[in-house]
Parts: sequence; C-alpha cells; structure tokens
Amino acid sequence: MSNPAPAGAPAGTRSVLRSRLDVRSEEYLANRTAMEGLWATVADELARVETIGGQRYVDRHRQRGKMLARERIEQLIDPDTPFLEISPLAGWGSEFPIGAGMVCGIGIVEGTEVAISATDMTYRGGSSNPRTVDKSARFAEIVQQNRLPWITLNESAGADLPHQADIFVRGGASFKNQTRLSKLGIPTITLGFGPATAGGAYTPGMSDYTVFVKNRGTAYLGGPPLVKMAIDEIVDEETLGGAEMHARVSGLSDYLAVDEMDALRIAREIVAHLRWRKLGPGATEPADEPLYPVDELIGCASADVRVPFDIREIYARLLDGSRFEEFKPLYGEKLVCGWGSVCGFPVGFIGNNGILFSEESAKGAQFIQLCNRTNTPLVFLHNITGFMVGSKAERGGIIRNGAKLINAVSNSSVPHIVLMVGASYGAGNYGMAGRAYDPRFVFTWPNHKIAVMGGRQLAGVMDIVARNAAAGRGIEVDEDQLNAQKDALEAQIESESSALYATGRLWDDGIIHPNDSRWVLGMALSAVHSAEVRGATEYGVWRH
Amino acid sequence: MSDITPIRRLLIANRGEIAVRIARTARRLGIGTVGIYSEADRTAMHLDAMDVAVALGGSTPAESYLRIDAVVDAALRTGCDAVHPGYGFLAENADAARAVEAAGLRWVGPTPEQITLLGDKIAAKRTAVAAGVPTTPIHEVTPGGPLPADLVMPVLVKAAAGGGGRGMRVVTSASDLAEAVESAAREAGAAFGDPTVFIEAYIEQGRHIEVQVMADAHGSVIHLGERDCSVQRRNQKVIEESPAPGLADNVRQALHDGAVALARHVGYRGAGTVEFLVARDGTITFLEVNTRLQVEHPVTEAVTGLDLVELQLAVAEGRPLPIAQDDVRIGGHAVEVRIVAEDPAAGWLPSTGTITAFSVDDSVRCDSGVRPGSIVSVDYDSLLAKVIVHAPDRGTALARLAAALRRADIGGVRTDTDTLIAIATEPDFVAGGVDTGYLGAHPEVLEGDRPDADALTAHLVAVTLARSAANRAADGRWGFAPAGWRNLATRGQRVVWTELAGPQPTEHRIEYRQASGDWHTLIGDWPEPGPDGALSADDRTVRTVRAGADESGPIGAEWAVEIDGLRHRVHVVAERDVTGQVTWRAAWAAGRTRWREQARFVDHDAEMAGSGPVAPLPGTVISVAVAAGDRVDANQTLMVIEAMKMEHRITAPADAVVAAVRFAVGDRVDMGDLLVELDTTNAD
Repeated sequence: MSNPAPAGAPAGTRSVLRSRLDVRSEEYLANRTAMEGLWATVADELARVETIGGQRYVDRHRQRGKMLARERIEQLIDPDTPFLEISPLAGWGSEFPIGAGMVCGIGIVEGTEVAISATDMTYRGGSSNPRTVDKSARFAEIVQQNRLPWITLNESAGADLPHQADIFVRGGASFKNQTRLSKLGIPTITLGFGPATAGGAYTPGMSDYTVFVKNRGTAYLGGPPLVKMAIDEIVDEETLGGAEMHARVSGLSDYLAVDEMDALRIAREIVAHLRWRKLGPGATEPADEPLYPVDELIGCASADVRVPFDIREIYARLLDGSRFEEFKPLYGEKLVCGWGSVCGFPVGFIGNNGILFSEESAKGAQFIQLCNRTNTPLVFLHNITGFMVGSKAERGGIIRNGAKLINAVSNSSVPHIVLMVGASYGAGNYGMAGRAYDPRFVFTWPNHKIAVMGGRQLAGVMDIVARNAAAGRGIEVDEDQLNAQKDALEAQIESESSALYATGRLWDDGIIHPNDSRWVLGMALSAVHSAEVRGATEYGVWRH
Repeated sequence: MSDITPIRRLLIANRGEIAVRIARTARRLGIGTVGIYSEADRTAMHLDAMDVAVALGGSTPAESYLRIDAVVDAALRTGCDAVHPGYGFLAENADAARAVEAAGLRWVGPTPEQITLLGDKIAAKRTAVAAGVPTTPIHEVTPGGPLPADLVMPVLVKAAAGGGGRGMRVVTSASDLAEAVESAAREAGAAFGDPTVFIEAYIEQGRHIEVQVMADAHGSVIHLGERDCSVQRRNQKVIEESPAPGLADNVRQALHDGAVALARHVGYRGAGTVEFLVARDGTITFLEVNTRLQVEHPVTEAVTGLDLVELQLAVAEGRPLPIAQDDVRIGGHAVEVRIVAEDPAAGWLPSTGTITAFSVDDSVRCDSGVRPGSIVSVDYDSLLAKVIVHAPDRGTALARLAAALRRADIGGVRTDTDTLIAIATEPDFVAGGVDTGYLGAHPEVLEGDRPDADALTAHLVAVTLARSAANRAADGRWGFAPAGWRNLATRGQRVVWTELAGPQPTEHRIEYRQASGDWHTLIGDWPEPGPDGALSADDRTVRTVRAGADESGPIGAEWAVEIDGLRHRVHVVAERDVTGQVTWRAAWAAGRTRWREQARFVDHDAEMAGSGPVAPLPGTVISVAVAAGDRVDANQTLMVIEAMKMEHRITAPADAVVAAVRFAVGDRVDMGDLLVELDTTNAD
C-alpha cells in the first residue's frame, strides 16, 4: 500500500537523492546485524517497564479493579492511533526503576495531539523519586514548548520520603509549571484514579479540569493519621477527601466518574470541547513514501561510530519522495544541509559526515539563518566526532567559526529536532543543537555514543597528561599501572557514552528503532506545529 | 375489439421494480412511457425509467397510486392511449379498468367484468367447477342454516369477500362446524360488509402451484407452464420457480388443462394466473385467479423465452397471440427470490431507511426498483428487487442463485438475502417439492446463511483491518504512522465485535498489531484479571496476516486477506445508520456477515437519566396501554406501533414503573425515538 505520487510539483523539478547503498553488501549486512543486536538489548529493557513494579503489586493493583498506567492510556487515545512515549527508559542504570515510575507521551485524543502522563501505582505506590522529578520536568518542557493540552492520569502516594531531599525543594516547580501552562492557554486535565496526598493534592488543584473516579480518587493535604495527630479529628478517607465529597462539596472535582473507563470517557469529551487549534501551518507538502524503504535504515549507519558513512543514505529513507535540495553541496562537505519534507512537514536537514571544520561551521550557521527566515523547522542528525583540532584549524579560526554555529543554534527560534544516528562528541554536540540547546525533541538510535570525546581518545589524553605530570615531577611511570588505569577509564567512558546510559539520564527523549525514524520525526514535527513556528531575526554578535 | 390499435404511449400506473420492468419492454417496443409518482416517491428510481412522469401528490397509496381519477387524468394529460396497472394498487380493481376504458383508453388486463367475476371467491369457484377445473367441492352455507353432512375433516370455513386470514376458520371436528360458520360470518360481515361464507376441504400440507395463462381477444388461450410458489410466509411468496419440481405428469397436465379451460370458459383476455393447492396425495384444490401480471412472472419468461409484458401489450392492442400452445417450450429451470426490506430473524420486521448500496452480480437477472439513495418507507410494499436465475437444471440454478446472492452488496436496510441464500442451499429445499409449511418446518433458515470457520475468520480479520484502515485515514494528525504504533509496546489494538447473525448475535475478540507490513493477530479472549488480580492464561496463538485493499468505490473495498497462507477475498463495506451506529458488512463467495463494534465506553449519563424502549422502526402509534405511574412487568405491552401495514408491540424490558409516556395514539414516531420512559429502580 503506497501513497500516491506527490501532487505538489511537476515530476523532475525537485532534486532527488539516489542511494548508493548496496543492501546486499557485507558491510550493510554487518551493520544491520550489529544494530539489530543493539536494538534487542533496548527492546529487552523496554519490555520490563510495564510491570517493573513487580508482579505482586501489579496483581494487587488489578485485583482492585484498576488498570495499569499504559492500559488506561490505551483506552484513552483514539483507536489505531500511535502513541509516542517520552523517556520510557528514564532512570536506566540508576537505583530507581527504569521508566521512573511514570509514563509520559504524546497521543491522539478526539483527533487532538495531547500530552499524557500517568503515574505507575505499582512501583512504590506511585511515589515520585528524583528521576520521576527529572522526567516530569522534561515532559513539562515538552508540553509548554509545543503547546500541547495535557492530561494527567494521577494516583500517587506523594514523594518517596526517604529520597525527599532530592525531591522536595525542586519538585515544587511542577505546580508552578501547571499554573503557568494554564496562563499560556494550555489546558491541563487531571484524572484522579487514586490518592493525591499533601503536595500531590495540588496536581488536581492547579488543573483547569479535574475528574475524580467515584470511590477511588481522593485528595487531601493531610491524611487521616496526620489529621488525628494535628487536630485530633477522627475521619475516614472518603469523608475527608473522597471523589463524592470533592464533586459535591469542595468543588475540587469538576466531574464525578462512575469508574475508570468513565473518567477516560469524560476526559475525551473535555478534549473534544477544547476545539484545539494548532498554531503552526502543519503539513503542507506531499507526504509520499521515500524512494527507498524505511526498513533499510537499520543498516544505514555504522554500528561502530568510528566507521564513516554517508548521512545522505539516511536522508534518502526519511524524506518524502527522497526529495532533497542540497545547500552549498560543494562547500563544507562534511556538513550536509538542505531542504525537504518529512510526512508532509517542510524541514531543513543538517547532518554530519564526520568532523566540523571552519567551512562546515560557517555553512551551518548560514543554513540555520535561512531556515529561520522561512520559518522552517530544523532536524539535526548527529554523526559528529567534534570540531577539528590542530594548528591548521586554529589558524583558520575554528573557534571563531564554531562560535558562529553555536550563536546561530542558540538563537534560532524555529523548532529543532535532534536525531542521534551515530556519535555526538565534544563541542560538536553543542553546534548540532544538543540537549543543552533546548531542542524540542531528541531521539536516539541504539548505536549512539555521547561524551566529551570517545573513550579511547579520552583515556589516551589522560594517559598523556599523566605521563607529562610524571615527567614534570621527574617520576618514572609504572607502565602496568598506567595501562590498567587507561583501560579502566576507557571502559568507564564507553559505558557512560552508551545510548542506554544517555536515555537513563534523560539526555534524550527516548531510544527508537532506526526503521521507525520517519514517523517518529513526523510525529515530533506535527507536535511542534501545535505551537507557533516562527524564525528568529536577531542573534548574538557575529564574530566575522 | 377486433381491430388492431397500436399503443403509442403507455401510462404505467405503478412504482418500484414492476414499473421499471414494464417500462423496459415498452421502450424496447418503441412505446412511449409515462410514470406516476407520489410526493414520497419524487426521487424514486422508477421515474428515471420513464419518458415523463406525472406527480400525483400525497404519500400514502390512498392519496396517490390508488386514485383512479388522478391516474386517468394523468394518462389523458400526457396523451397516453393505454394504462398498464402492474400488480397491486389498481391491478385488480374493476372500477379502475372501467374508468380507463370509459376514458377511451386501453386497459392492459382483462375486462372489468372478468375482474369482478374472478375477484369473488365463491363466484370464481363456481365458475371453476362449471369449467371442469379440478378442485375439491365447496359448500355455500348461511349461518344457522343447514350444514352439509359427511364432510371429510379438516375443513376450512372462508368468507367469500375475505382476505388476509380474516373471516377464516380451520375446523377439525364436525361438532365445531356450526359455531365456526357463525363466527366467521360475523367477522366477515363486520370486516367486509358481506357475511357470505363457504366451506372447502383444508389441505394442510399442500404445494402452491399456479399456472400462467395468456389469452387474446380472439378466443385464443394458451398456458405458459406452471410455477411453484410453496415457500411462503404469512401467505406471501418468498421463492418461486418454474417448472414445479417433482410434480407428477398427470397432475401437471391436469393443472395446465384446468387453467386453460377456466380462462376459455370466461373468455379471458390478457395475462392471468390460476392458483392451485396440490396435496401430497395429488388432490388438487383451485384457489383463485389473479387477473394481472404476477410478481413472479420472470421465471415463466426465463423458461419460455417470452416477454409477458410484450404479450400483454400485444393483446391490449387487439392483436392475436403471436404463438400457439404448440410453440411454447419449457426450457431449463428458473428460480426467483424476492429481496424484501424485512428482517426474517426478527419475525420479518420491516426495515426502513435509505439504501446505501445495491448491486447484484450481473450473471443473473435482477429486476430492481431501488438504487443507492432510494428511500424505503413505511408507506409502500417492502419488495426491493427480484433476482432470477435460469440454468439447464434446478441444481445449477440454485447454486448460481446462492453464489450471486452471497456476492450481492445491499446496504442501508435489513433484507432477507441471507435467508434466501440459506433456503437455496438447505437440503430439503434443494431436494425439491416442499410445501407451504416449509418455513415453519425450517426456522433455521431465518437465521441466514453461515460461512464456514475459515471464512468467518477471514471476514473477522478483513472487517478489523478495514476498520483500522478507516481509523488511520481519519487520523488527521499522525495518519502517516502505522496503525497502533508504539515505541514501548505492551499489547496490540483490541476490538470486540458483535457478529449480527440471526437472533443470537455472537461476540468475537481480536487483537492485532502491525509488524513490518504483516499483521500479527490474536483471535479469542485476551487475558483478564481473575479474583486474585492475576491475568488468566492466554491460549491464543498468533496468526500472521498479510492484507491489502483495493478501494473499488466510495463506500467499500475489496480486501485480500491471507491468514497463515490461506488467501481469501472479502468485500467490506461500512455504513452508519440513523442512530449513528456503524455496521460493517463482509461478503464474498463463502457467505455474508454483519459486524458491529462494541462501544468502548458506556454512556452512564443516559443510563442514569432513565430510559425505556425505543421505536424499532418509523411508524404510527395505534394504541397506548400504560400511563405514567403504572407498574409494569417485564414483557408487558406498553404501546403498539403500526408500520409497513404491520403491528409491532412495544414491551417493557424489565419490571419497572412508567415514568412518562412520550407519544399518544396517532402520533408519528421515528426509528430510535424513546417511546416510554421507565424507571427500573423503584420497580420493587
């Protein structure tokens, strides 16, 4: 089932990428096999998330007639529509559960793109740990920057008290964020499926709309034991802060749902009446399939990030009709810039074929400015080992030119979406709109590596530094010890550079299967069009 | 009447399939066509078959097609020289025939005198006896008068002016006879203004066999063989065929000879049908003469190769019949089925609405009066179309009929199509020679034709994927992404379907997910939490599906569904009815199914507001049995609605207290209207 031919332009008037990839070559098959292996590891981790709270707690939750967080989401979103989870493996590699005890994502409800977050009651009673705070803060950014109506499926025991020191003070920002969203005209809808205690009670309290499930949802600042302690009042939960009380007496609950499904139904009705209108122009180009199958993406990138590959092979499998109008193809060849569209959304692609030199940096800065002039969102495809070093580069003004790129990236106001298809090392990460530069979304392939530099280089640098220090003090180096240190450091850096490590620390918004990249980009681009898409006209001082 | 006056322009005083069919022959013969139509029919299909059509106004038959003066005026106004009444409406109305002839126009049918004579059951029977037609004797009686002795029981007491079962009594014991005569006469007097009754033998297991006769105004009478119309419900024919299967030659001959003798005896003119009941033992009883073209005339046309309307018009022009009895050859076997807008499984409940799809394989003859957009209302007969097959032998004809009906795409209203397929493939019917008790003896055919397990699975999968494709097409945001895509997948898309088969709809659960172009489907119950919260065992197995759709039209698609290596082709159509519910129809060679997705959510607001029975179809309230505050028991009648000339009882679904009665006698109700509000919470 293929899409019809592009309707926009007469055939032959747009440049089309021609793939040179031989999908039967040993190199391709080796890359594919390696990538499949890397993905299998990620998939195993993803499969653990839904019942990470433990079977005993999952069963107990279901025994109470409750649905799991993702089961609720399945019933909330429109049938057959996709759901894009954000940070599904947050917390990986930490003492906290993968997924961080909550589900965040973007889905379609009543034909409207909405942000949905849901607490996982099966892990420590849905309490928030430091990773939960990180994940929800990141999600709140997504909600605000992309202007997405937000539905919260709430039930939580509150803060994970032993970890309160890492939660309490900064965690308060969530309620501030909620009311600021409301001020910006971004609707917030909270469904109370269970308890909302103490500070958590402000989650419904700060929402535009609240729906409480009868006999299930509760909200109070102090629970019965605290009330007894504080004022010697003896009261049961339902009387104190039950759904009926909030619906009929306190007014905290706008709607009283008969059961969980009813709450989800009411949420859908609320979204329907928002009559939400996106502020971006949306998809305006023909959304025909690329000329080359997206299923070939899995073997396009080198599994070993040190082996170069042509980023255009990825472009050819992401862009509508593989159409790509390349900018400055003869200048700064290691940075491949140009225009096309993904799933109908016009985009500027910036991707690396290796290291950034002065020419690449200046070219990138100009391209970013041009895309801002035409209000065109940018997609950055990272395959970057860093800016060039060495005397020739320094004399050529690599710092000055790199500064142009960082100036452009920092002050650009069109949405940036990052796709990590390989390495993202050093200041190259910054010049390519890395996490610290506020891209709207960052998605990662399983082969991704991220660090100040590669593990081998870093260990090598440290080795030289150690030898120089020893020489300075006139000490003989212990070669065995130094080699052992070097190997250990390289291994540590390699493990701290992996895609799973990065996603666990929320450096990205999720690892995706390479073959899903086209529609993940499409969904992200669609989401960014929920907010206004407007380019910048002003930048910092250009160092010419 | 011996001079020949060619008909130049013909008024066709009818609607629906028969008007279209008559116009077809007229057009072929170069005769101009004029139609008539009621206000309700102003966009009806039959109008497009006519050169011009005259608006009569009104919507009920009495306001339109039954108005003799309006019909005659229409014919005169448009310069017609003849009127063809079709069947029903004015077809057997002697006054109409008389008025037409009085206006100087030709009546395509027998003389008014013949209509009157043969329309009187006793007179017709007397005439039949006089003509030597084989029949059982009748005894005319008067209430309180002498009764004939030594009758062989059972007998039937019948009103001379009767119809529709009124004024009719079956008597099994001589001691009950006097009382039956009296009550029948009383009822007939009240209903028809004529208390005359007679007694005749009651044939319990008879076959309804009728003989088509054709006579010209020059004394020539021929028969065109017989038709077997034994499959009936409420005295209405469902399937007709020619010749009658397995009929003894001597019986067949007696029927043919009797029919010709009767027509000749009265000097009959035009097309007529002499109806008989033939008992198992060969006993023949004459029933009546239909002085018009019959609904089922196409089977006779198929086996004789003649055009009966053409012959009717020739006779009306005063021409001699172009053929003699010896020229009539019965070739092969023909079967006709009537596609009616009724639901057999729901007691042949009439179904109304707008036709959304109507297409029948062109390997068979289909005389249709509807097309997509046609409105099926309560005002007219429920017959939509007739499908006629002709084959060298009966077995082949039935096989082709079933195949054509399974491929038929009819949407917007419920029809008896599935029942017709079930009959055409049911062993007793296929064996041939069934009697009028057939449908009573085979209630299973009312539930329709069932596809086999593989085909049912293919339909389930095809309908599911068609729904998924429709959902994806409706996704204006992320329609480019695969159905149900997840970066963290926990389960597939789940749908609970109700297969609307017969009186006992069945539930089917299916879960599916897209996997690189293929679909992984799981059919059956998915795990649900048990009392301890643990999920039940999952004994479903993944079935790999490859599927593709060929969008053939605006409302349907041909799906190719390959399930574990077995490929099926399934036609899938979705349509939304007036209540907003979507029904998915799947059909192909293996059979037809209908599916409705179970709603994800319950509308608790409506549930809480209190509800009650809704009108099953549009109609008029003819009685109200309860008032607000009444306590009612489950199944108690609350209201009676008349629709499509039939009465429908509206009953309480449970013990309840009547909160409000929404309509009064005489009110019009629409399908889906809440009729009586019930409060079930205070019932005890």
